[in-house]
Amino acid sequence: MGTNRKRLVAAAASMVVAVSLAGCGGDSGDGSGPKGQTDQEVTEATKGGAVFSLETAVTQAWDPQRTYTGRDLSNQSRLVYRSLVDFPKGVTDNIEGQTPIPDLATDTGQSNEDATEWSFTLKDGPKWQDGKPVTCEDLKYGVSRTFATDVITGGPNYIIGYLDVPQDADGQPVYKGPYTGEGQDAFDQAVTCDGNTITYRFKKPWPDFPYAVAALRSFDPYRADQDKGDKSKLSVFSNGPYMLDEKGWNEDSGGTFVRNPEWDASEDTNRDANFDTITFEIGIETEVIIDRLIADEGNDKFAFTSRSVTPAQYPQITGDVEARAVNFESPFSNYLVPNFNRLTNLKVRQALAAATNRAAYVGALGGDKASAPSLSIVNPSTPGYVANPNFGKAEGGDVEGAKALLEESGETLPYPIKLTYPIGSDATDKAFAALKATYDEAGFDVTLDGLDPSGPYYEQIQKPGSDSDLIWGGWGSDWPSVSTVIPPLFDSRVNITKASNGQDYGNYASDEVNAAIDAAAAETDIDKANEMWSEVDNMLAEDVAYIPLDTTKFYFLHGSGLENYVNSAGTNGYTDLGVLSVVDGGK
Amino acid sequence: MFAYTIRRVISGILLLVVMSVVTFYLFYASSSTPERFACGPKCTPTQLDTTKRALGYDEPTIVQWGKFAKGFVAGREFPDDEKLRKAAPEQVVECPRGCLGYSYGYSKPVNTLIKDKLPISVSLAISAFVIWIAGGVLLGITAALFKGRLIDKAIVGLSLLAFAFPTFFIGLLLLKFVAIRWGIVELPKYSDFTDNPFLWVSGLILPAITLALVYMAGYIRMTRAFVLETMSEDYIRTARAKGLTRRVVIGKHTLRAVLTPLVTLSGLDLAGLLGGAIITETVFNFNGVGKLSFTAVQRYDLPLIVGIVLLLASFVIVANIVVDLLYAVIDPRVRLG
Amino acid sequence: MTLTASNLESHGDDHFVDAEEDERSGKVDVEGRSPLRLAWARFRKDKLSMAALVVTTLFALMAISSPILKRLGVIDPYTPHQDLLDYATGNYPKGFGGGMSWSHPLGVEPGLGRDVLSRLMYGATLSLTIALSAALITVAIGTILGIIAGFTGGIVDSAVGRLIDLTLSFPATLMLLALSGVVVDRMTDLGVPAGATVNGLYIVIVLSAFGWPPIARLIRGQVLSIREREFVDAAILMGASRRRIYFKEILPNLWAPLLVYFTLLMPAYVSAEAALSYLGVGIKNPTPTLGNVLGGALEYAYTDFFFFFVPAAVIAAIVISFNLLGDGARDALDPKAGR
Repeated sequence: MGTNRKRLVAAAASMVVAVSLAGCGGDSGDGSGPKGQTDQEVTEATKGGAVFSLETAVTQAWDPQRTYTGRDLSNQSRLVYRSLVDFPKGVTDNIEGQTPIPDLATDTGQSNEDATEWSFTLKDGPKWQDGKPVTCEDLKYGVSRTFATDVITGGPNYIIGYLDVPQDADGQPVYKGPYTGEGQDAFDQAVTCDGNTITYRFKKPWPDFPYAVAALRSFDPYRADQDKGDKSKLSVFSNGPYMLDEKGWNEDSGGTFVRNPEWDASEDTNRDANFDTITFEIGIETEVIIDRLIADEGNDKFAFTSRSVTPAQYPQITGDVEARAVNFESPFSNYLVPNFNRLTNLKVRQALAAATNRAAYVGALGGDKASAPSLSIVNPSTPGYVANPNFGKAEGGDVEGAKALLEESGETLPYPIKLTYPIGSDATDKAFAALKATYDEAGFDVTLDGLDPSGPYYEQIQKPGSDSDLIWGGWGSDWPSVSTVIPPLFDSRVNITKASNGQDYGNYASDEVNAAIDAAAAETDIDKANEMWSEVDNMLAEDVAYIPLDTTKFYFLHGSGLENYVNSAGTNGYTDLGVLSVVDGGK
Repeated sequence: MFAYTIRRVISGILLLVVMSVVTFYLFYASSSTPERFACGPKCTPTQLDTTKRALGYDEPTIVQWGKFAKGFVAGREFPDDEKLRKAAPEQVVECPRGCLGYSYGYSKPVNTLIKDKLPISVSLAISAFVIWIAGGVLLGITAALFKGRLIDKAIVGLSLLAFAFPTFFIGLLLLKFVAIRWGIVELPKYSDFTDNPFLWVSGLILPAITLALVYMAGYIRMTRAFVLETMSEDYIRTARAKGLTRRVVIGKHTLRAVLTPLVTLSGLDLAGLLGGAIITETVFNFNGVGKLSFTAVQRYDLPLIVGIVLLLASFVIVANIVVDLLYAVIDPRVRLG
Repeated sequence: MTLTASNLESHGDDHFVDAEEDERSGKVDVEGRSPLRLAWARFRKDKLSMAALVVTTLFALMAISSPILKRLGVIDPYTPHQDLLDYATGNYPKGFGGGMSWSHPLGVEPGLGRDVLSRLMYGATLSLTIALSAALITVAIGTILGIIAGFTGGIVDSAVGRLIDLTLSFPATLMLLALSGVVVDRMTDLGVPAGATVNGLYIVIVLSAFGWPPIARLIRGQVLSIREREFVDAAILMGASRRRIYFKEILPNLWAPLLVYFTLLMPAYVSAEAALSYLGVGIKNPTPTLGNVLGGALEYAYTDFFFFFVPAAVIAAIVISFNLLGDGARDALDPKAGR
């Protein structure tokens, strides 16, 4: 959220929010559902030139199976790793931009009746950077790596729970990955190759599977002979239009990608590959990146970033600079959850919901360029989003209403509340100070408990006996569907164990909600499913299982030498490298 | 002298052994969830456990220290899991004698990482050193010669002012205004000296000045005091009485007397800086050992933290031994023992 | 020669204190017996030192009064005034100079609209409290260990010597950063209230834990020379207990160097708090300290230079005035120190 001033926690904080997949949200926030928010369009481009990506957070991994940050997932897809299916290039519309299209496969996949089995047929033509063709075995090997949870860490390892591999006594899959080969037979039955056709078998229906393939890199092919386990974390063996140059990737300063001669433009229509080289310059402070982009000197003319302009710099975004800026809603939503082990009185929870001053919170974050108040835990860019009427007005902060509810609750006032949140930036701290002010006015006595998100924050909120009353949470769905928002956050069966509440930080457990989740998840008709999800959302709202806060907004700036700068829905709102080009090809 | 040196070296080694144990207990025994960062944000408790085992953090601290010590003496192979090493030999990372461990954050041996980053920190330290010694001595002597006059007050006052502002503030001020806003110098960026010495210098100017300002004030005042003190010593007064010119007296006698303690002291400061200046490197995004250690802390990368701590400690220990020996050589009055 | 390398970029011996250099080169010179009045007379003659004394006294008065003023409601570092901000420009203060007015003489901060002057005053109080506590503990540890080592000699002396070597060999800045997660966790488990209390306490503890060795060395050297003097011999002959000798006979002779060192530690620790805050360690917003108020202002270098500059200037003023005070005190107590 906002800028990362507090350096020590900066990396960890960006880690918390940077994980998401979905597109850019509508600027409306009026509940009319997702739509494209920018008027960016792809125009004719000249090939050639060098572009530069200026970044703060280092790239955790170039290993597709170990990548889990939205920016990196998108960049990898556009530059070096092709998938069976992919999101279309240069489309800002949230529905179209987040509908999978074929990439390595001939179509978007064939499933059986109940979506427990999916098959894809590989195209002829895609080649690795050494000229060898991409095979079905490469695809199978890629996903098998995810099972080696002792080596392949940091990626979305949870997907191993979907594949139909039996479990051992510890509840873990019997297959332990390709390195030890333990349980290989079980895996060979779950994923099979028949010539050019790969088939995946799942434990339960997975109608969204192609979305997951397009959004994550877990199902990308990987060449077994290039796999050196942990040593390969920052290596790239490409089948896309670019490849890492001979200097390789420097974990702290970045690296340069050049054209991959083996890539065939006529066969891959989802990547324009306009620029000749792209250089990643990483580890730079956000404000310095923005300062440089404002100055627009030298190579920075061809630079872009995934860091938003900080509120302090807003006054500088005028005139020529403003023409190079774009401001829209990101796929990240923020919310608060009441701890159901402590706040058992419904009236108290309702009073908290009423007193939540979203306007002040958003203001402290930097105003309407930094964030937008939201009325649902579902991001406006997600198909199936509906503004939840239970949460009242967008700006919130109904002090009188909250006072009345607290009176009715029969509790002694002021009611003490411990609000736990992850420290990240100066703006974050200010935002919670703003919330506290209105809560206190309404009759609460709020203690702010800001914790380091690289450890202590999760320690505190995930233990079932936690003494936090109100907890901040941020979420970006893994692929554009409500099924990746509500179940992982509120299904008590997948979250709550003796030792931890998983992602269900409020310890919310409702059999009715769980049943409704099952029903919605099994529905294969998307429109019908969305209606059912919205009903689940209403049930959550009536219980005040969460209080929506805001949708983070992106405010990106890029150099004057770039053309076809598009923040596609399919690239999580980050710069779509599939269409980006340099003015006159840099000549 | 020889016996003394041997004794100092042995006690230095013992000190490092003790430090390694202390450091291990400080970090390995106390950190609650170092695996959290490696595991990623949407990490389930089971996954957290697997990660903890994969990183070897589940073993007792003393066992982990034992592996570290053995690795340092005899070399080591990673990953730790022997079964995995046998099954997948292509994954094995050799870490020869002197091994400081393996960073899972970077997926590289700690030694390799430090070796890569050290030239950057050393370049920064040396260029800052040149600036602060040259500036310190020249300005210090000037101030002493004009004692009590305006120029003296200006030098002492301004250097104190530069010292009083926080380093990161001065650094940001230089970066934001001198480099970005006014474009007077290129954006600070490290280039290899062997690639292009000119770029090496121009990329280092601002960070080196920032770092030098931390020390300069102290050295100016120290030089000034030494000069004033020396000039009041009997033999200088004798030299003056002999009719030697002021310039000769200052150049020959005073300067020599002043430089000796300065050089030895600055040697210690330089040794402390070789291992990286965390704040300056962070402000200017110089990926030296200082920034590396900062990243290690951010990521709870325990092997990397411990490795850097021990390396930096050894720098200081060695420098202390060298300086003490130098003292003995320069000043026969100092008895070693 | 009085600047302690306070900006946290140095590692290793902190040698900018004369006594230690003197010890290195083998000559220890003590002016411990000089009467207070004589020193004061000398001090008063130095205009710069007197000015420094006035400024530091003002800071001290401010530090003492701002919690009271806060209670009285005169200063208010916490209440947001978002009505004074312009929502359209990223909640930037309306009006001249970052929202300056009679009720907010230094303006309000962007985003939340809290009063800048109140946050600076209250922040300076907390920073000075941290620095004061850390300096006192540092001096206490150093003095106790130094006296024990110097007076007992033998095994105890060399044990303390090794402990000094060990502590000095640790790269202090890195340790201050790296230990924060570990130690803060531990202290919270032990029941220290989370948030500002535990973070502030952490800074005090680690600064003292890594700051005491130079004092211990200094004091040990002084004790060694004092030990040889007649009055201590006399006390021993008269059958005085060891503790009595430590505290009644030796300590009064050490106050002069201790006072000087203490005065120089204060600004060093104020700077250290700011530097640690920049690196993400220490007391966090909303509780203000000079470090985090400055941290919150760094982004505004271009858009509001005044807001950006003032917190740094306050830190610089504290550092300069305390350093000059320390200089003055040392010159007054030890007139031979060439200046």
